[in-house]
This record gives sequence, structure tokens and C-alpha cells, in this order.
Amino acid sequence: MQSFGYEHPEWLGQAVDLLRTHRPHARPLAGGTDLVNRLRDGTLRPHVVVDLKGIAELRPGITQADGRLWISATTVLADLVADERMRTHFPALVTAAGVVGPVQIRNRATLAGNICNASPAADTAPPLLVYRAQVIARGPAGTRSIPIDAFFLGPGKTTLARDELVTAIELPVRDRPVQAAFGRLTRRRGADLATVSVCVSVDGTGSTRIGYGAVGPRPLLATDDSGVLADPATDPATRTSLLARLARATSPVSDVRASQEYRRSMLLVLSQRVLRAAVIGEGEG
Amino acid sequence: MNGPVGTSAERVDGPARVSGGYRYLGDIRLPDVLHAKLVTLDCARARIRSIDASAARRVPGVVQVLTAADLPQPVPRFGPQFRDRPVLAVAETKYHGEPVAAVAAETLAAAEDAARLIRVEYEELPAVCTIAAALAQGAPLVQDPALRLGDPLANTNVLQEHRYAWGDTETAASDLIVAGTYTFPMVTHFAIERHGCIAARDGDGITIWSTIQHPFWLQRTIAELLSLPLAKVRVVAPDPGGGFGGKQHAKYEPLVAFMAMRAGRPVRLILTLEETFQAVRRTSAQVRVRTGFRADGAITFREVDADYLLGAYADIADRLVSKGSYVSCGPYRIPAARIVARSILSHTLPSTAFRGFGAPQPLWASESNMDEAARALGIDPVELRLRNLARRGEQFIPGDTPADGAWEQTVRKAAELVGWGTPVPAGRGRGIAVGIKPGPTTGLSYATVRLLADGSVVMSSGTSDMGQGARTVYVQIAAEELGVPMDRITLLMGDTAVVCYDQQTSASRSTVLMGNAITYACREVQAQLRTMAARHCQVDESAIEVARGVVRLPDRQIPIGEFVRLGLGRLGGEVIGIGESRKEHVPGHPLSGSPVFFEFNCTAVDAEVDAETGDILLVRHVTVSDVGKAINPMQVRGQDEGAAIQGLGHTLMEQYILDESGRISNLGALDYRIPTSMDLPLQLCSDVVENADGPGPYGAKGMSEGALLCVAPAVAAAVTDATGAVIRDLPLTAERVWRALSTPAADSSPTATATAAADEQRRCADGT
Amino acid sequence: MSRTHLIRLTVNRVPRQVEVTPRHMLLDLLRDDLGLTGTKACCLVGECGACTVSLDGRIVNSCLVLAVEADGAEVTTIEGLATDGHLTRLQQAFLDEGAVQCGYCTPGQVMAARDLLAHNPHPTTAEIREGLAGNLCRCSCYAQIIAAVSAAAAEEEK
Repeated sequence: MQSFGYEHPEWLGQAVDLLRTHRPHARPLAGGTDLVNRLRDGTLRPHVVVDLKGIAELRPGITQADGRLWISATTVLADLVADERMRTHFPALVTAAGVVGPVQIRNRATLAGNICNASPAADTAPPLLVYRAQVIARGPAGTRSIPIDAFFLGPGKTTLARDELVTAIELPVRDRPVQAAFGRLTRRRGADLATVSVCVSVDGTGSTRIGYGAVGPRPLLATDDSGVLADPATDPATRTSLLARLARATSPVSDVRASQEYRRSMLLVLSQRVLRAAVIGEGEG
Repeated sequence: MNGPVGTSAERVDGPARVSGGYRYLGDIRLPDVLHAKLVTLDCARARIRSIDASAARRVPGVVQVLTAADLPQPVPRFGPQFRDRPVLAVAETKYHGEPVAAVAAETLAAAEDAARLIRVEYEELPAVCTIAAALAQGAPLVQDPALRLGDPLANTNVLQEHRYAWGDTETAASDLIVAGTYTFPMVTHFAIERHGCIAARDGDGITIWSTIQHPFWLQRTIAELLSLPLAKVRVVAPDPGGGFGGKQHAKYEPLVAFMAMRAGRPVRLILTLEETFQAVRRTSAQVRVRTGFRADGAITFREVDADYLLGAYADIADRLVSKGSYVSCGPYRIPAARIVARSILSHTLPSTAFRGFGAPQPLWASESNMDEAARALGIDPVELRLRNLARRGEQFIPGDTPADGAWEQTVRKAAELVGWGTPVPAGRGRGIAVGIKPGPTTGLSYATVRLLADGSVVMSSGTSDMGQGARTVYVQIAAEELGVPMDRITLLMGDTAVVCYDQQTSASRSTVLMGNAITYACREVQAQLRTMAARHCQVDESAIEVARGVVRLPDRQIPIGEFVRLGLGRLGGEVIGIGESRKEHVPGHPLSGSPVFFEFNCTAVDAEVDAETGDILLVRHVTVSDVGKAINPMQVRGQDEGAAIQGLGHTLMEQYILDESGRISNLGALDYRIPTSMDLPLQLCSDVVENADGPGPYGAKGMSEGALLCVAPAVAAAVTDATGAVIRDLPLTAERVWRALSTPAADSSPTATATAAADEQRRCADGT
Repeated sequence: MSRTHLIRLTVNRVPRQVEVTPRHMLLDLLRDDLGLTGTKACCLVGECGACTVSLDGRIVNSCLVLAVEADGAEVTTIEGLATDGHLTRLQQAFLDEGAVQCGYCTPGQVMAARDLLAHNPHPTTAEIREGLAGNLCRCSCYAQIIAAVSAAAAEEEK
């Protein structure tokens, strides 16, 4: 691992200043479960690492206000999984966060970090897409709110500027939680990166949202407002062809985890299973 | 038996291991030590043009940069079978990860920084990384023919060819012939303790600390390379944190030894896990099996063509090719057999011993072949095996060690435990297979047992306890023989300067061969006590018996621990026993010696297959081994169940993935998957057959590899039973199963050979 | 640029003060600076769990934590469990159930199991499997490890 400097600011403004001063050679550090690996393998060689965990404004926590749940940037996945409000309103996100690594990883990894890495296979990305998350970012010019679907650009790429920081993820809370489910395929039952992941939500108006992971350069969202998918009475052939049409937006590739062909097929299998789970309210695919 | 033999005694040294106190190699701290880092190229094969270390040498703390040019010329080579492996790559790297230089520095960070600054100019060369590529006309030669003087195969990539045959396979009359070609992937040991070593000049000699399984073999290798007497090479080998065969032979110990001698300071190299993956793997294979059957299921002949893909250097792999393929016809009564096994060199990392030592590869093929035959014949797979299984005393390999167990008991027990014959729910299938492996064919082990004046014992053994539990077993045996409580025995291991010679820790030999040496040493102590008792009590020796912890005199009996105080008298001292256990080599024998015993196992599984995704769920996994006598039933269970799960690794998920140029694409723990606690079968059930019919102490046989041998064919048979799909390639990843299920003629397998085999099978079935 | 940092932390109830560079990991600090070699190193990518320690009451892979991040923290390692040489019930259960083969992954397994039992004193088998999924054992004595955790939990109940 190459050497680097370490900064531990106390205030958000200081952190942004550090990022601006050292851009593009500064990297924010939250849980470090991904960053440290990339420092070690040399794919990232920052001059300075800016630890966010001592920043007063970013203290770990999930707060509810103005019809939204606000998850601070240093909140670890283990706390997200254990949070009752999260379990009530965003069960599919809880399911997804619960399969990120084993306990040791979830005790350290943050939701913000999971999306900032912009891995196409990030488990929490499909549910965040489905749940209409907003990414709150702070930069030299102030704070902005980015719809999650606009946040991801490609593998490892987000819309964040090099001197911008994610301060929180916001999720809109509904009076009646939307029905949703998450499912994924992996190479083994123990902790693994997803080969394919899918999150589906079905709301009272018949709108269906599908988030796909690991089947394109970035996590993808597809929506169906026809009500066809949400209707349990839809005949299977119609449902399958509609799911297949939606999946056309994806562009899976072959890698060490699976071939493109397998991913394409599994996308459909998984979509059907997770849709079924979402429609009948099982919570998990 | 009232002593500890046969009881589940707690692991000796256990408390240190659960509290972080046991010192593994990496926990040793030497003053003044230098830290080493290897320099490798990110390609499979390259011609080295130049190495510029000037920037590296300028890094503060760097003490040494070593390249091949700094070594004695020609660069020394070593290897347990062939001296083919250079201490550092000479002119050309032959596999992804072969070091071209090494740095030693005051800190590991400095060594790593410097290693990154070494500029190697190189030209990537075409690499042969598959059996087909290595055998192709005009394929580049992996090894320089000059290294293979006098070898008729020197101008090919075939290192050796091994042939075994009996009977006449050509004229055998069969009602059905079943044939197929099967492949076994490259997999790695993934011991949680990475490989490492430390070397330090020691007076006029050298001391090497290593994670090695065979300290005495390493001692010999280093002595030869440095031209030192054996007595000047000390190898300290703390218990390895898992070995599984990967740590048997020298890898980077010679390099580190040269670095330390040159630096005049201790040098320490701990490989990263990625580097460890580039240092050891199992030998992959492609095996074609062709078997003739009578309509009643009796085997008429079997032909096995086993091509094993070795790496760039042989290590011990050719030996495992010969030994593993030797039993490739299985534990069956076969009137005619022809086995041809080839060791094929390639530009891949050197393959070596790995639990099962070359047997799992052909067993995957031959036991799957049995399953295909059972279906074609309409005979129950258990029945088919029982019909052909060699019975005790039968020479199933003519002229060699006969069947040494009631193997049918093992099969029946496994069948019963899995519920053979009871219905299997829809979506599930049941499969069974047997495994056999020859035990050691030669051996030499010495043990010392010293009964001290207060009745406590210090004993020594050259075995490495890498988790198989040898320490506990040895202490149990000595405690049993001498009647001394286990906690009053100290067992020394892992230091060639302290313990007597032991050939090696491999082939599940230690309970039998070293166990016998310890028993003999105890018996020698007992004999001396008898003489002592005769003198002390003025009784004729013939009237005294010393056994199982007591001195039995005509009128009374005295516990050994108590008697030794009296016997040794005022000066005290100790009674010293030396045990020697020897298995000579047999001139002319194809393996240079007959197996001391066979490991025999039967594995049966129930598996559920997800028809849409191809995912396999192991519902029940039964493993039964013939162990002769379980000296420690808890450890036996742990070995069998551990081997079973390790076998599920290569069966379901493990494989190196090489890109087209021969680079490893899934190097490291993130993308090389092994089973976790969540990948356990829902039900795991192990049992043993104990007939006290083994050659070891109390009738024990060697064990701990058996339960891995036939996991793959048992699981594949269950998948076929559940889905009808026949899969001939491992691992059975969900994608592979899905592919087999989604290909209409799932049975016709991907290779042309297998299709031809299917035709052949139909033809023969028609009676042509 | 990469100056050293003086950090203060408590390890196994003992206050410590160490000077570290930013690229020094908590794992290195424990093993190399403090000589607490019970915590093992293996994959260094957070996959194997051999380096599991408790950091402020939560288990983490110490190979993924910069030593500087542990400034002010309370760390418990495998060496901090037994008191006066007396093994904890959990440690003894590992021995009773044959859950230690080579023993190299054992410190990490014990730390993970201890954390699991602290949060869930009576786990089901499925919960134990999940709770230990971050700790690889290549000897693969998972069945024995699970049995040990169950036994320790049952013992606790008595």
C-alpha cells in the first residue's frame, strides 16, 4: 500500500475544504471496507484520506422528519438493518443491506459508502432505486439533493464532484409502506458479491418499479405503470414478456462470476420470483 | 482398554489455540529481521529483458535486491522429484506469479514500496495453459530439453507417462460398454495460514523456520543447495495453520535462505494470500473412462486415460499422477484393466499434493461412469457397487496389497444412513459413490519416549500437526501404553535439531507409521522396566509383565509411574525408548512400494436442484470411512466431516479462472469462493467402520483424506437423479447445471469425445 | 504528507499509546506493535475473518481498519478473553466439541461467536451459521464450530 496522509476533520466544512484543497487526490473514508482494499491493491492512490467519522454533522444516525428518513453518511449497515423504522418502511432495503458481507463488514460499511463506490453489483442500490432515494451531497457550492437514479454513472463513477461529499441518504416515507422485495443470486450461500440482484416494489396505484444490480455498468431502474405486473391475476405469459421487455434496458456482461447469457436468463427468473414475493407481500425473494 | 485410546480426548495444545497463544510461523519475532517482498510479472509467460532496481535500492530501509544474476550460476534448481525449479526465474517466467526478483528491507512497507519500483523490461510470450494446448503440434516447450537429458519425452510437454495393466481388455466380452470424458478443475488449498518462512545464518550453518509439512525433506533440500552438512541445517517447523498437502515441499525457502546468507541477517517472507494462490494448486485433469459390463452388472474390463495438467515445475505432482491413477479402476474386482496416466507440463503455477493425492480426479470420472452404467443397466447404484466391490483379502490390483477391509460394510452403512431405497421428494435426487486411495508406500519414522523419574513423559516426533490431530493421538497412545495421564506428557515436534527423523507428514500416514514408532518406543520403555523390575524385585523376568501402564509382578501390580521412581533409584534419571517404524521400498513395484493400507470411504447425498437457476442445495450428506480403529472418535469425525466439506468446494464452486493469456482472473479471496458455514449441507452425518483391521496401533488405519475422495461423483449422481442431466465437468456451478438443464439433449455432453462415447454405448447396448 | 500520528487506545482493558503511519492497519498495530499475535492475518481483504477483533463493542476485520481510526477506541482481542488462564465457556466449548483443528482461524471464530452470543444468547443453528459466515475455516470443521456455539449458549442458560 502506498503511503498517504490522514485527516480527521471535526466539521463538515473542513472536510469539504480538504477535498477541495487536495482535489483530485483526496478520498473520503467512512467504513473503509472498500476503500482500504483499493488502497492496498493500488487501484486508488490518494494523497490524503479524509475520515468522516469524527464530523459532528455526520454522526451516525437515522432520523425521521418531514415525511423522510434521513440516514447519515456514517451510519453503518448493521444499524440500518436493526432500525425498526427501516424494517417497517423499507424492508427490501433492510434485506439487501443484511446480505452485504458478513457481520464484520456490516459493522463497518456504510450505506453512503456502498453507493459511492458505485459498484454495479452494490446490493443496496436496487432497493434505493425502487424506494426513490435522494442522495444529499455537500460541496464548496453548498448542498444539493440528487435523485439516486441520476447518481450512478458507471462502474465506480457517480455524479459527485471530487470535492463533494455525500452527507446523507434520504428516503421518502409513505403512510402505507409500499410492498417490495429483494432477491439475488450468488455463487455460494455465504457472503458473496451478487451475480444478479433484483428489487421490485408494487404500490397501490399499480405502479411497479424494478431495480437491477450486476447486469449493466450501473444499477438500473425500470418502471411499469400499466398495472399489469402488479395484478396477481395477470397471466404468466403476459407477465413474463413484460418483464423481458423491461429487462432489455440491462446490458449484462460476462465476468468471473457468470456469463452474460446466464445473467440474462437469471434476470428474468429472479424478476419473476421477486415480483411474486413483492405482490404477495412476502418481503423477500 | 481403560486408557485414553478410543476416547474423544481434548486436543493437546488446545487451550493455547483457543486463546491466541499458539505461535504459528508468522507469530515468530526475531531481532534484526529483514522483511522480504517478491517481484512478479502480471502475465503467464515472459522473456525477461532487463531488471532495473536502481530506484528500488534508493528506498530508505532497503538492504537487498536479489535477482537471478546475484545467485550462484547456473542458478540452483530444486524439487522433490526433479530438480527443475530455479530459485528465481532464469531468463523466462513460466507461470503467472513466478518471481523474478526479491527485496529485503527493514520494514515490510519499505520492501513493498521498493518492489513496486523495480522496473522489469519483458516480452510476453505465448503460454500453454490447457492440456490441449500443451499437447498441440508445435506447442512451445515448457521445460528446456537440456534439463531433461536422456528423457525420450524431452521434446514434448509430457513429463512422464505411467502405465498399469492386467488381463486383456481387448477380448473381454461385455454386454454394455459405458464411456465418457470428465474434467477436474484447478483448485487451490487455501489454508487460512499463508505460506511463509524465515531464514537466518546460525554459526556456520543456517536455521530455517517454515510453515513446511516435511521439515526433514526441507532440511535436505537446503543442505544440498547451500552445500552444508545436514547437521548444519536446522529446520524449525511450527504446526502449520492448515496444510492439506500444499505445504509439503519447499517453495520459497531456498530463495529466502540465499537472501539471509547474503544479508547476514534474518530474512522473513510471508506470502500474501494471492501469492499463496500462485504458489500451490491441485493438479487439474481430464480423464476418459471406458468400462465393460455384463448384463448382471459384473465389470468385464476398464480403461482409464488420465491426463493431469501440471504447472511449469513438477514439484511432487508427477508422483501423485502415478499414485492417484494407480487406483483409478476403483476398489473393484476387475478382470482386465489398462490405465495410462500422463503428467503434462504447462505455463501455469506448479501443482502439488492436495488432500487425496491425485485420486479424486480419476475417481470423479470412474465413479460417475459407474453411475451412468447403473442407469444404463437398470441396476441400483448401490447394488452395482456391492456386486463388483473387492472383498477382504482379494487382490483387486493383481500382485499388490489385497483389499484390507470389509468395504461392503462401509457402503451398506452409508446407504442406510442416507435412506437408500426410501422415496426422494420431487426436485431432489440421491447419489452415492465410493472412494479409495492408497496409503503410504514407503516410510521411515523414529520416535523417542522418555519416562522421567517422577513418572511423567517427554516424547518427540517429527510429524507436523497441521490440524489432523497427530499431537493428541500420539499422547493418547503413550498415555495408554505407559499408564501416564495425558497432562503429564510433553510432546516435542517441529524442530530437526530436537526430534528424530521422520520421512514426511502425508498420505494419512502418521497415526499408522509414527503411531507405530511411538508404540515401539513405549514398548522399549516397558521392556527396560521389566528388566529393572526383575532386578529390583529379585524376580525372574519371565514372571513379569509390563503393559498398559502397569508392572505386573507375580504377587502384585504397580503402576508404571510409581514403579519408575523405585526402579531408577537415588540417582533418578530416565528410561529412554526409541521406536523405529519402517516401510521399505519394493524394487520393481510400480509405485516403488505396496500401500501400507487403503483409505476407503462411501459418500451418499440427497440434493435439491433449482430447475430454473441450476442451484444445488445439499439436503443431506453422509460420509462413512473404514478407519480400522478410531483412536480419537471426535477427531476422526472432525477429519471426515471437514474433508467432506472441503470436497464440496471443488464439487460446487471452486476453480481458478484463467484468461486467454493464462493470467489468473480470480486471484484472491474475493473471487475464489470456498464453502462457508452457510454452505454446509442441511444435514451432515458421518460414521465409521471399525474392525480393528488396520496396520497401525490398536488396528488403526490412516484416515482424513477418504471423505473428500468421492464427494463430487456422489453429488453429480444426485443431480442426475433429480434432473436427468449428466454433467461431466466440475465444479457443478449453478450456471453449469442450468446450462445442462437448458440444453435439450442434456445427456450429450459438450465434448466430441463424449458424444462418440454415447454412440459407442448405444452400439454396444444393441449388442454390436 | 504521511506523517505519523500518536494514537491512544485501550486494548484488552490496558491503555496503550502508539505512533503509527496512516497506512498502518489495526491488525499490524495489534500484532507488530503490541505483540498480540493471537489475532491472525490471512486474506487482508475482509473475506476470511481471521483478523476479527472487537472495536468499541462491535466485531470488525482489523485488516480493514486503519490504526489511526482506532484512536480513542476500546479493542478486545482473543488474548483478552481468558482470565488468569481460565478459558471462557465458549473457548472451552470449542475444545469440547472438536472445533479446533489447525486452530489458525479459531481466534477469529471465537471472537465472532462471542459477539453473536452477546447479541443473541440463544441463537438457532441458522443464526449461528449466519453469524459465523464471515469466518472461513478451511479445515472445514463448521459443524463442530456450530456445535460449540450451541453448547456454550446452552451452558450459559444453566
